[in-house]
Amino acid sequence: MASSCYGDALIRRIKEKASKWIYRNPVPGPDGTHLNHHLPKSGLRKKDADAVVVAVTSDAVFDPGADEGDAFRVGLAFPLLQALQRVNERLLEQNPSESLLFDIILITTSSQRQQQSSQIMRSTRHHGLEVGRFCFSSEDNFLESLLENNVQLFLSTDRNETSQASQRGVLSALLDQRAASSPSEQLRVLFCGDTVVQPNAAGPMSTIQHDAQSFPAQLGKMRQRFGMLDSPLVIILMVSQGGRDSCSSALQVLRSCGVGVDEAYCLAGAPQSPILSLLHPHFLLSDDFGELEE
Amino acid sequence: MNLDNGQSLTVGGQDLTRNGSSSGSSSRYPWEDAKKVMKPSTPTRKPQPPKPENAITIAVSSRVLFNMEKEQQIYEQQGMEEYIRYQVEHESEPFGPGPAFSFVKALEAVNARLRELYPESEELFDVVLMTNNHAYVGLRLINTINHHRELLGGSQDGPCLSLPPHPSLVSSPELFIERFCMTGGNSPIGYLKAYHTNLYLSADPGKVREALEEGIAAATMFTQEKMKEVSDTQLRVAFDGDAVLFSDESERIYKAHGLDKFFEHEKAHENKPLDHGPLKGFLEALGKLQKRFYGKGQRMDCPIRTYLVTARSAASSGTRALKTLRSWGLEIDEALFLAGAPKGPMLEKIRPHIFFDDQMFHVEGAAEMGTVACHVPYGIAQKVSRKAGKEPSAPK
Repeated sequence: MASSCYGDALIRRIKEKASKWIYRNPVPGPDGTHLNHHLPKSGLRKKDADAVVVAVTSDAVFDPGADEGDAFRVGLAFPLLQALQRVNERLLEQNPSESLLFDIILITTSSQRQQQSSQIMRSTRHHGLEVGRFCFSSEDNFLESLLENNVQLFLSTDRNETSQASQRGVLSALLDQRAASSPSEQLRVLFCGDTVVQPNAAGPMSTIQHDAQSFPAQLGKMRQRFGMLDSPLVIILMVSQGGRDSCSSALQVLRSCGVGVDEAYCLAGAPQSPILSLLHPHFLLSDDFGELEE
Repeated sequence: MNLDNGQSLTVGGQDLTRNGSSSGSSSRYPWEDAKKVMKPSTPTRKPQPPKPENAITIAVSSRVLFNMEKEQQIYEQQGMEEYIRYQVEHESEPFGPGPAFSFVKALEAVNARLRELYPESEELFDVVLMTNNHAYVGLRLINTINHHRELLGGSQDGPCLSLPPHPSLVSSPELFIERFCMTGGNSPIGYLKAYHTNLYLSADPGKVREALEEGIAAATMFTQEKMKEVSDTQLRVAFDGDAVLFSDESERIYKAHGLDKFFEHEKAHENKPLDHGPLKGFLEALGKLQKRFYGKGQRMDCPIRTYLVTARSAASSGTRALKTLRSWGLEIDEALFLAGAPKGPMLEKIRPHIFFDDQMFHVEGAAEMGTVACHVPYGIAQKVSRKAGKEPSAPK
C-alpha cells in the first residue's frame, strides 16, 4: 500500500509554490482525532528552514513484542522521544515564538505496522508522546517518505534500514539498548570523532563540512540557545582509536561548523564499552557504522 | 542558566560557536582558522598507549597537571560563563606546569626505560587527564600538552611558545598524554573505574574522598609557590605510614589514648600486620615495576625509588610498620623514622616527586620547603582538621 503521511498531499501542493513551507494546522486523523494539537494554531509559516526533522521508527518507539490491550508498550526509544520533547519545551519556555524546534515524525517501515496505524496513533496519545507527523510506510517506500519529508535524522533499531537510508543521503543512527537507559530530561548526542575528514555517504562529519543546514549544524545552534549549565541538550565527542591530535581535530571541525562540544572523551584505543555505558547517549553519530563495539 | 536572555553564548559580543563560513573579521579567535590548519589524522610514530587493565593508570585532573590558578579565580569570582569565555579567548596560550607536572614527566622517564628493556610489554604507566572541565577548555588543554612537547626540539608546526620554559622541563621527556575524559560537570568516578585507575590526583577534595570511598587510591594536590627541582631520571615517591600505606587503626589509639598507650599497643601487636591503607595498592604497583628492572640486573640503577617517611620511631613503633610491609611482600627502598620530628627537612633532602600524607600539618610543612605534597583525606585525622574554611571545588 502506498505510504500516507498526514499532511502529505498538502505538502506537495505547497511545495509547488514555495520550497520550504508546511501547513501546520491540526489535521484530523482517521478516527477523527486531531494530531498536532500541541503545536501553535498558526497558519502557513516558514518551517523547514528552522525546524529539525527527526524521524523515528515505530518499532523503536513501541515494543514490537506483545501489546497491553489497546496500546503498545513503550520501546527503547521512549526516553529519547521524551528528551526531544523536553528540548522543545525548554526552547519554547525561553522564546515562545521559537522556530528552531525538533519536528518529530513517527514512521512505520513495514507493511505489518503500516496496517496498525490507528493502534499506533492511539498508543502515541496513550503514552503522552508528542509526535508532529505520522508516516505509515512500508519497507518498499519508507525511504521516499524520508526524502519527501526532508528528514534530517533517521533513527531506527534496524541496521538494514539505517544503512539503506544512509545510502540515500539521509543521516541515520542505529538505536540500541543503551538508549533505553538514557535520561528523559536531557538529550545526549554522541559524535564519534575517529573519522573526522572522510568523504562518506551521509556521515555527520562530511555533511557538516558542506551543509550549514545539516542536522549537526542545527543541533549546534539549538545548543547555543542554552547556557553552560542545566542544558536539556548535551553534545558529546568520543574519539576511540585516535589520541589527542584526533581529538583536537574533531573538536575544531565540530566547532568550525557551529557545534560546541560539552563533554569529550579520548580513548586512544582503550575499550569503548565501559566508557559508553557511562555516557548514556540516546544515539551515536558516526561516519563508520559497523565499527563500534557491540 | 543562560546568557543574554537565552541567546547564544557570546565572547565579547561575538558568537562562540558561530558558523565558520560567516564573514571573516579579525582573527581574534584562533579557531576561526581551524579549517585551514586541519588535516586528516596522520598515522603517528608515537607508541600506542597500553590497555588499561595492563597498565598502571594515573589519572590527573587539569588543575594539578597545569597551573590554572588565575582561571580558577575567575570561575570562583565571576562564574562559569565568564570562566569559559576566558579559557576560549586564551586558547593558544599554554598553561604553566602544575604540582603534578614533574611527577608525570618522571613517569614518562620510567616508561622510556621500560620500553627499552621490554619493547612488547604493556606494563607501563598510562596517564589519563581526568577533568570535570567542560570540553570548551579541551583545546587549550591539548594545546598545552603539545606545547610542552614541542619545547624539546620537536616539530615546529604547533602553537607559538609564549611562556619561558620552566627549568624542570627542558631536559626531560615529552608529556605523553593521549587519553582524556572531560566530563563537563559529571562525576569522574565511573570513568576512573573504567580505566582501572591505580592513582587519582585532583585539586578537589570532594572528588578525592569519593574516589577513596570507592577503593581508588587518591590524593588532593595543591598549588605550591615553591617546588624544588627534582630528578628527571629517577621517579621518587614518598609515603607516610599510618592512614596512607597502613590503616588508621594505630592512629586512632594515639588520638584516643595518647602516645604511651600507642607505644604499648604497637609493641604488643608487633607481629600482627596492620590493615592496609588506601595507598598500599599503589606502592604494590610500583614494586611490581621495580622488579621488572631488578630482573634485568638494574637494581642499582632503578629509575623508581620509594620512601616511607613516618612519625613512628625506629626503636619502637617502627618495627611493626616494617614487619607489616614484609608480610605484604612489599619492599620499600628507604624507611625514615622521624620519631615525631617535622618531615619537611627530611623530604627536602630526598626530593621526591610526590609525597602522600593523611595530615594537612605534614603536607603543609613539606610544601613550605618545596616538596610536592598531597593530602590523603582518610581516617581519623580528618575528624580533627586544623584548618576550617571553604574548600574550593573544580569548575563544573
